[in-house]
Amino acid sequence: MLGRWAAALALAAAASACSPAAAQVPAGRLALCAACHGADGQSRLAGVPSLAGQPRLFLESRLVMIREGLSEVPQMKGMLDALTDAELIELSRHYAVLPPPPAAGPRDPARAGRGAKVAERALCGSCHLPDQRGREQIPRLAGQREDYLLHSLRQFLAGQGVRGRDTAMIDALLGLSEVDLADLAHYLATMGTVAP
Amino acid sequence: MAASTLAPLPGRNTVTPPNEIPLEKIKLPAGFKAELWAHGIPGARAMVRGDGGKIYIGTRGIGRVYEVTDTGAVRTSRVVVSGLTQPAGVEFRNGALYVMAIDKLLRFDGIATNPTVTPVDMTAAFKLPPLQHHNWKFIRFGPDGKLYVPFGAPCNICEPTAEYAQIRRYNADGSGMEVLARGVRNTVGFDFHPVTRELWFTDHGRDWLGEETPHDELNRVSSTGLNFGFPYCHEMGVADPDVKKPNPCAGVTLPVAQMGAHAAVMGLTFYTGDMFPSEYRNAMFIMRKGSWNRTKKIGFDVLVVRADADGKNVKSEPFMTGFQDAAAGTFWGRPAYALQMPDGSLLVSDEQIGAIYRISYGR
Repeated sequence: MLGRWAAALALAAAASACSPAAAQVPAGRLALCAACHGADGQSRLAGVPSLAGQPRLFLESRLVMIREGLSEVPQMKGMLDALTDAELIELSRHYAVLPPPPAAGPRDPARAGRGAKVAERALCGSCHLPDQRGREQIPRLAGQREDYLLHSLRQFLAGQGVRGRDTAMIDALLGLSEVDLADLAHYLATMGTVAP
Repeated sequence: MAASTLAPLPGRNTVTPPNEIPLEKIKLPAGFKAELWAHGIPGARAMVRGDGGKIYIGTRGIGRVYEVTDTGAVRTSRVVVSGLTQPAGVEFRNGALYVMAIDKLLRFDGIATNPTVTPVDMTAAFKLPPLQHHNWKFIRFGPDGKLYVPFGAPCNICEPTAEYAQIRRYNADGSGMEVLARGVRNTVGFDFHPVTRELWFTDHGRDWLGEETPHDELNRVSSTGLNFGFPYCHEMGVADPDVKKPNPCAGVTLPVAQMGAHAAVMGLTFYTGDMFPSEYRNAMFIMRKGSWNRTKKIGFDVLVVRADADGKNVKSEPFMTGFQDAAAGTFWGRPAYALQMPDGSLLVSDEQIGAIYRISYGR
């Protein structure tokens, strides 16, 4: 028993040392992620978010929330159960440094224009930054899949599936209509992306 | 404001190992000492001491309540319950642990002897309103045996409906609800004066009104039915520019003290122990988690605040500092709550890195 504990502690210490070796994610694990999120972290599947270029801390927090069952993502259910905090941090590091997806096209100027106004009114740029690249615990919105953004915005506004997530988002979206959300998602998805 | 890029500070939902906790940076008055008492409990906020000396700790985003057991030399921790919506409120009474999330109240009877006890769901009796923002809890049983529960304003600034921006108290079973105070934007820390038994509470001021206004508040509840000003009147009489009405501060109970604009004032603990020097007796320890809604960061500290029982002659000074580098605009820790231990030492939780420090005084 003591030996097992010692081994676990040694592992934890190695993982926290931030050495290049510790930052390796097992290939099998990455292949599992890649099946839906893309080998380059850029999703080509409907409703599945891109992970590439997302801030590390945001990915970490989302992974913890999914593992803990706080965020209910049916496709992810149980997949992170056995992963330690250190392994989730490694996964997050891996995707955070990959190039973010380019702007989704084509852009509808009328919808994007309306979406930009919604973004201005909701002060999205204050936290997500004016180019919507995100930072730290706040996700990158520029270039994210439009369908995923819309799904996520609807969840926030309905207060559903947002356990563990920042309730300030509910406040920010208060009073927006379904059309507002759709325009906002289109504007953000079709924004040119800036590297982290 | 529209061009501002101020944002809430990043929290951390993963374990911070001890070698990443720069304990040596903590500064205390002469004679006081800080040690790392427990770690590996991400999101640690309010603490309560249960039977057998076990410490229960609430969290927000990570959805867990922890139990820390002190075996003498070391502390071990376990997760009592997880997957809740911001279970920030913890309290202990008659052998039962009370856990209050935004949308749920659970009671774990006899948890010290039955660690895996199935909780009693008390939610229905407390009739919790549906909106989530600013409705994470801090809870305490008062000297009157009632459970004190805040219901924050579900917005930064708005005219909230009748269920919000208030402090209520209930009988332990949820009956007998009474609104004790209104016009309270977001209190997540309070305690009862050791002599007068009156409730003193901290309150977060609104965002986006400038670098130096409005201040967070320290308030005193001298009677029931008081109005503390939100949303019309802030701090020492600042009228809100967005939500207006004539004579916005008429009938408003002004704070005992201003606690710093946007400083995120958190836990409040009256010190009644014997370990610290006599000038600390009945003084308040007030935790400030640190500001985000201003360019020059303030807070990230524990203050010791002394005041007369009627709220006059308030004197505040830093007690525990060193969590931020003000010149660089960086921080590494965010003190959130304190808990006085039977030996008179003080536990302080750090929500940023999921740690608890023990503050002791050596004569």
